[in-house]
Amino acid sequence: MAKPTVVVVGADKGGVGKTTVARTLLDYFTAHHVPTRAFDTESPKGTLKRFHPDISEIVDATSVPDQMRIFDTLSSTDASVTVLDVRAGLLSPTLRSLRDIGFLDAVKKGQLTFVVFHILGSSIASLNEIEDTSSFLGDSKYFLVKNFINNTSFFEWDQATHASYFRKFKDAIEITIPKLNEMAYEQVELASVPFLTFVANKGLKGESANYSFVLRGYVRHWLGNVWAEYDRVKLNEIVASGGVASSGPRVQVVSRS
Amino acid sequence: MTRPAPLYIVTSPRPRMGKTLLARLLVEFFRHSRRPVVGFDLNPRDPAFAGRFPRLVWPVDIANTRGQMELFDRLIAETTSTKVVDLGYGPFEQFFAVMREIGFVQEARRRGIDPIVFFVTDQSMATVRSFGELQRRLAATLVPVHNESVSLLFSKEDFPLTRPECGMIHIPRLSAIVRGVVDRPNFSFNAYMTKQPGGPTEVHKWIAELYAEFRDFELRLLMGRLSASLGGASTPATTRGRAR
Repeated sequence: MAKPTVVVVGADKGGVGKTTVARTLLDYFTAHHVPTRAFDTESPKGTLKRFHPDISEIVDATSVPDQMRIFDTLSSTDASVTVLDVRAGLLSPTLRSLRDIGFLDAVKKGQLTFVVFHILGSSIASLNEIEDTSSFLGDSKYFLVKNFINNTSFFEWDQATHASYFRKFKDAIEITIPKLNEMAYEQVELASVPFLTFVANKGLKGESANYSFVLRGYVRHWLGNVWAEYDRVKLNEIVASGGVASSGPRVQVVSRS
Repeated sequence: MTRPAPLYIVTSPRPRMGKTLLARLLVEFFRHSRRPVVGFDLNPRDPAFAGRFPRLVWPVDIANTRGQMELFDRLIAETTSTKVVDLGYGPFEQFFAVMREIGFVQEARRRGIDPIVFFVTDQSMATVRSFGELQRRLAATLVPVHNESVSLLFSKEDFPLTRPECGMIHIPRLSAIVRGVVDRPNFSFNAYMTKQPGGPTEVHKWIAELYAEFRDFELRLLMGRLSASLGGASTPATTRGRAR
């Protein structure tokens, strides 16, 4: 069996699209048949839970009982991947807690795989966050995500500044999440279903839905591009812990309506 | 089982090529054959096609997502009516970009709808390049249209056929005076055909020739499909020798 993988999605800044990225990851693992569970730290009301209720739990990442629910069960759960959607401002404290409970030591010993998706904002402050965060991440896979989905323009980053920051973190890999058509994004929000379910024209319980073909097409195309980024960084291989890489399924419209 | 009605997209990357005239002819041809037809006019600034058939043709602006939904969702959802899209040179690029991005042709094919692009040709380099690009990137049937009124010459090397069995469409030249007749705001090809007080005129012959051209095209399409379903080679046959 593959060793357990913990994927942390976070940022210290709010509104940069952490939950959206977490949702694309859950869809990616679902499509690759990787048993996955998720924890939504937006306690008490979780956005991730709204889209993936069957595999998500809402937790308070700062409370010890909830930390036990997440980390003490890594070996016993059927899920080989645990996705943790960390609330704004809690990325650094969460990583500190992981260090304190010995989680990072277990990663160092090769008992666990640890992946961090650090969602960046457009400001220089966001680049400073990388410095704070990266000090915890010696043996993890560290992805810096430029998320354009909510129309972020990384205008504050000139090439020289950007390069000077990124040079410091040689092991960090950059991922770009492209922009999704606003109306398509809004309709998925209203439907409250995973992106993949929206593309397949289904409701949350698998019933037939009546979403616009155009909007489904936009989501399918966008999700395909996002997954291409995950394939590029070999995410599937990382969670399979060095297993044989499988060529994952592409996003397909499978509606029958 | 009835096959879903086809979708015709009449287009050219250049203005004043006779696209709307061809779209009008198609609508009237399908009405003449007593087949349900709807149209979409993608020229929001000057919806001349919609103006001719206010109850059958809807003007749509695909510059925004709502307009794209209005068009593409309807093209896919309803399969009983033949659809004719008059795609002007303005939204030409965006139309095909959206079409590719949302996987329209694949979905249409999955539903049994055959998208056919009538591409009105001319001798300009940009048009030839545009045709080649569409042919490479679009999985739909691309049919060159030679409109003699806008381009005297047609080079088949410049516009190779996507499906040789389908051939091409040829619109004979109309004299300027007669062209003025068919451009009159209330002119109807079908109504004109029923009235021949002094015997057939140039316009009668021109309409009859074009309707025969359309019938021929449909036959060639059908024969091509039959041939493909039987696993044979494409049918070179043409009843009137138009598959140039």
